[in-house]
Amino acid sequence: MTSVSGITDPQFEDPRLLPAAMSLRDVSVAFHGRVAVRDVTFDVPANRVTALIGPSGSGKTTLLRSLNRLHDLTKGASVSGTILLGDTDIYQGGIPTTVLRSRIGMVFQRPNPFPTMTIYENAVAGLRFNGVKKKSVLDAAAESALTSADLWDSVKQRLNAHAATLSGGEQQRLCIARALAVEPEVLLMDEPTSALDPISTKRIEELMVELKKRVTIVIVTHNMQQAARVSDLTAFLLMGEDRAGEQIEVSPTLKLFSAPEDQRTLDYIQGRFG
Amino acid sequence: MTSNTSTDLRQAAEGHRPSAASRGVYEYVVLSAAGLFAIISLYFVGSIVWQALPAIRHQGLYLLTGTSWVSGGATPALSKFGGLSMITGTIETSLIAIVIAVVVGTGTSLAINLLLPSWMRTIAATTVELLAAIPSVVYGVWGMLVLAPLVISTVGPFLNSLPGGNAVFGTVVAGQSLLLAGFVLAIMVLPTYVAISREVIGAVPHELIEASLSLGATRWQTIWKTILPTGRVGLLGAGALALGRALGETVAVVLVIGQVNQLNFRPLQPGVTLASWIASQWGEAIGSDQMNALFALGALLMAASLGVSFISTRLVSRQRSLVNR
Repeated sequence: MTSVSGITDPQFEDPRLLPAAMSLRDVSVAFHGRVAVRDVTFDVPANRVTALIGPSGSGKTTLLRSLNRLHDLTKGASVSGTILLGDTDIYQGGIPTTVLRSRIGMVFQRPNPFPTMTIYENAVAGLRFNGVKKKSVLDAAAESALTSADLWDSVKQRLNAHAATLSGGEQQRLCIARALAVEPEVLLMDEPTSALDPISTKRIEELMVELKKRVTIVIVTHNMQQAARVSDLTAFLLMGEDRAGEQIEVSPTLKLFSAPEDQRTLDYIQGRFG
Repeated sequence: MTSNTSTDLRQAAEGHRPSAASRGVYEYVVLSAAGLFAIISLYFVGSIVWQALPAIRHQGLYLLTGTSWVSGGATPALSKFGGLSMITGTIETSLIAIVIAVVVGTGTSLAINLLLPSWMRTIAATTVELLAAIPSVVYGVWGMLVLAPLVISTVGPFLNSLPGGNAVFGTVVAGQSLLLAGFVLAIMVLPTYVAISREVIGAVPHELIEASLSLGATRWQTIWKTILPTGRVGLLGAGALALGRALGETVAVVLVIGQVNQLNFRPLQPGVTLASWIASQWGEAIGSDQMNALFALGALLMAASLGVSFISTRLVSRQRSLVNR
């Protein structure tokens, strides 16, 4: 294992050397011609948590939403550069958007379970969209996904209750279960705990560490402590002079928070701006 | 002496504030306007019910279940005023109108909100809203002169040529029919339905649409499984509001329904509605017991419209609270 300057832990592995689940090459996102994120290039290591951090306006969420082509919905949005899922260029028509989005799941900032569906129906919604009809398959998937999301024990007696009856933290874990049920390879999380209390936040952070054994996670977070706690690799973005987000530094989390390479990263993690 | 600015401002403001006495006058004016409105409303409802009472007393249930409408002239005991054909005609034309309006209107709202480019959105929405500004007599004349011949020449023969077409739709005789009335009503209530359903669909949270798409749903699945179910209460409310309009529409219906007091259920047959019957019989009824019978039909229509509009208001506000949670 190569040594990384500033790290003395002998157990340390550099996530940049692991196989990549996704690769970003010169990725830029623009809205109506105005660039919001420019020239981002890094690899997302498989079965690890990658955190995108940076102040408001640095383009973290914009970048994240380009990874499952959610910008396709936004008028005037355009994505350039190359984004690979495995070997497939996701913007070059190699993969239908619906298939892409079932391979790359997403959890949003505010818990957004389908309000008219029950807990069970929410958990299997993605499978039903993908054409799974057999009840035994759906039942098994619901149990497995809800278990993975650390929710099964508290909801197994009331699977037919409406999702709105759950607490905020439970709703967010239901959304995680809903995304996991489709068995995605990558899970995108857009500030998944920003609307939650500290205890619910802690449970979801623990869940992420558990989940990375089977799924690659990319998380956007405002909370630097959260990035430090859960992620293996951290990408720091910052708004440049023309107000477009730029990649300042992509380093192993341990290194980025202890011995960052760029002075601007140091200023940010020490709270001097942002 | 230094002037204290904030005190000066406060004094200036107090100079413009109405005194206690003049506030009393304002309150008096506003309250009496509201009171007058309340009194007129009560008087309106009360006098209709009052005028209907003699008919209810003499005809009893026959008002709802009878099918002849005969005035006894000088011998009121011989009068028979049955409203069943009007009731069934009202229900049938309104149902035809609502089914057409909900299907076409929901599609229009979805297209306006989700499919059309933004410059076309405004044009489409404005066009639909302008339909509401056209006086109903214009719809009636158009239905009578343009659509009725089409029913005779094309629509009627086509429906009759279907297997069992005569039994289900009735044999086409004239263009004026329950079907034509329902169709014209559908066009007339469409702006109402689209105005509300457009708002309902537009208020479905974007995050739910994204949640659906992020799970691999197609646009079509997102519409059917996420947008419409999330908006269903409000869409029901929009339908109820449109139904309220369809129930009471009069002039256009008189022109296209055929105005025949028969208990007809087949859409190609002519018929009559509560509103169209009241309007067409009024001239000969004044001063006789028939007038009371028409008031009774009016009271029934009023109750139905108020009930439907009450339900629709409740549904639409329930949808708002559901979405804004």
